[in-house]
Amino acid sequence: MRQRIQTRPPQIWTVVLLLGLGLLIFALAFFASPAQAAHSYQEDQPSNDFCLACHQEEGIDKKLGSESLPVTINPTQFGFSVHAEEGINCVDCHTDISDYPHPDVKVKNTRDFTLTFLETCKDCHEEQYSKAHDSVHQIAFDAGNKNAAVCMDCHNPHTQKRLTGKTSGELTSSARVEIPETCAQCHSGIYDQYKTSVHGNALTEENNTDVPTCIDCHGVHNIQDPTTVTFRNSTPFLCATCHTDATIMDKYGISTNVLNSYVADFHGTTVKLFEEQFPGQPTNKPVCTDCHGVHNIAKVNNEQTGVALKENLLIKCQRCHPDATANFSAAWMSHYEPSPEHYPIVYYVNLFYKFFIPAVLGGMIFFIITDIYRRIVNRMKGAKHA
Amino acid sequence: MNRVTQTYLRFPIARRIEHWVMMLSFTTLGLTGIPQKFSASNISISVINALGGIEVLRTIHHTAAIVMMLGSVWHLLVMGYSTFVLRDKMSMLPTFQDAKDGTQALLYNIGFVKTYPQMGRYTFEEKMEYWAFVWGTAVMSITGFLMWNPITSTKYLPGEFVPAAKAAHGGEAVLAVLAIIIWHMYGVHIKRFNKAMFTGKQTEAEMLHEHPLELADIKAGIADRRPDATTIRKRQMIYYPVAAILTVAMLGGIYGFINSEQTALTTITPLTETQIFDPQTPQP
Repeated sequence: MRQRIQTRPPQIWTVVLLLGLGLLIFALAFFASPAQAAHSYQEDQPSNDFCLACHQEEGIDKKLGSESLPVTINPTQFGFSVHAEEGINCVDCHTDISDYPHPDVKVKNTRDFTLTFLETCKDCHEEQYSKAHDSVHQIAFDAGNKNAAVCMDCHNPHTQKRLTGKTSGELTSSARVEIPETCAQCHSGIYDQYKTSVHGNALTEENNTDVPTCIDCHGVHNIQDPTTVTFRNSTPFLCATCHTDATIMDKYGISTNVLNSYVADFHGTTVKLFEEQFPGQPTNKPVCTDCHGVHNIAKVNNEQTGVALKENLLIKCQRCHPDATANFSAAWMSHYEPSPEHYPIVYYVNLFYKFFIPAVLGGMIFFIITDIYRRIVNRMKGAKHA
Repeated sequence: MNRVTQTYLRFPIARRIEHWVMMLSFTTLGLTGIPQKFSASNISISVINALGGIEVLRTIHHTAAIVMMLGSVWHLLVMGYSTFVLRDKMSMLPTFQDAKDGTQALLYNIGFVKTYPQMGRYTFEEKMEYWAFVWGTAVMSITGFLMWNPITSTKYLPGEFVPAAKAAHGGEAVLAVLAIIIWHMYGVHIKRFNKAMFTGKQTEAEMLHEHPLELADIKAGIADRRPDATTIRKRQMIYYPVAAILTVAMLGGIYGFINSEQTALTTITPLTETQIFDPQTPQP
């Protein structure tokens, strides 16, 4: 982390600092007249300064059963948070607290303490809250998995910075770069794979936001189970959202024909037809991820796993075609359009039929037309056809 | 008996059944194959969905292909019998005369010659269609084999042959279907509704019109002179064992066509992912 901060251009920090200062002034303006604060529910609620007076002390915690809950709030970090920026008061969320001593905490561990705030975010973030309720996390949670992510696991309310542009409403680049780290808190194994992938490497090493982060494939808040058949069958179209977009692909010299060439092939035709008729029925035909990988997608010319290398591709083929031998992998045209350079036999077969079909049918039609002509002429002359 | 009531047997019942088998399998292959070639079109998607989806469609296609292959084997055996045992005239073989007949017919149609060619048992149009069907069946069988058995094929051939087979299979299919629609429809249904494949018979007028040379042969009693019973029996003694071996070989070929490999696993194991829930640090 420290290393990354140092590598960032210094101007950003100046901007952040200035922005933070501005926000602090903005926030102070609110504190000065609490009655006007948008999110103030109580006239005489204690100010954040009042709470922070105690809670900024380092290393304080609260014993919950055998666990201890750290209750230190770093005023600087909190000051940079979007909640501070928007003038949210501690007691807007900690509604049971209005003075010291605080009421007793009944739960016996830190997780349960977090979960007592499950409904809190809903007051202001109704849309995100209800979306999250349709997510795979919620399903796991409802099934009794208390570790399943809830709002606060991804968005620490005391430190969460603004994620979207204030006017654009779009996710900011800096927020995008940080997404995988958020998910990594629980999905570290997947994150480790992602970091080494062509996508993850570009994001984490180059801050390149052209590449997908977790949410581009999995969605945000209403994250769906990616292990379902429906999700698998829709994979080609998911990848295609970026991989058929020339504005992104042209920068890297990547073909935008990958979906078309996939769908033109036996596998892709099947998957596409399947997706349309039986989105939930399994098919044994491969989708993008079966050859290219999921979180560990590598460049096709990567020496270890790149599928542009025949021997690497064959390994992928053999997952479904265990008896396949060396020549087999060339039966897949590797997203190429047949041309005199790539797959010339296919190209010339197509070319042959391109001329052969009209030549044969044209000949037939010509003969038939002359035959019809002769019949009409003969009939007009009153004569019988031959 | 006049020229309308006097009839001649053109196709005995066995040949008519053969034709119907080929017609039904061809139609099925076309109906289930063309939507696969043009799978992006909405009409194709409707056809595929109506028949129960792409996998069902492929199964129907494969079944029809087996029927057509069996029909082809049967045809070869019948032709063998006709040629070797009965020594029938090989009236379907293309000759130089057919080219001349075709040219003359065309010249007649456009008014350059006064008479239409006189033809025998099979006209140049019929021979053209027959040999086109033979050519098509050969191309479709070979390319079909490559697609049906890509693993076996690529043990001996470059991988590129498989997509090339797919290209040829599709191109040939379009040609075959359109040729049938254009040439066959016009030749035997539109020009004049030819009932020979339904009733097996043609009237004398029809024979005179389309197969005057054959009619002349029939009238002269030289059309189907059969060898005597002893000769037939003697040849059968040779032909039947040979045919039996050929039958076993050809059926073995079809069996190999269907069963030479299990191309793909029917269910693929999900990609081995790392542990999904794998927290970085103990949860706070």
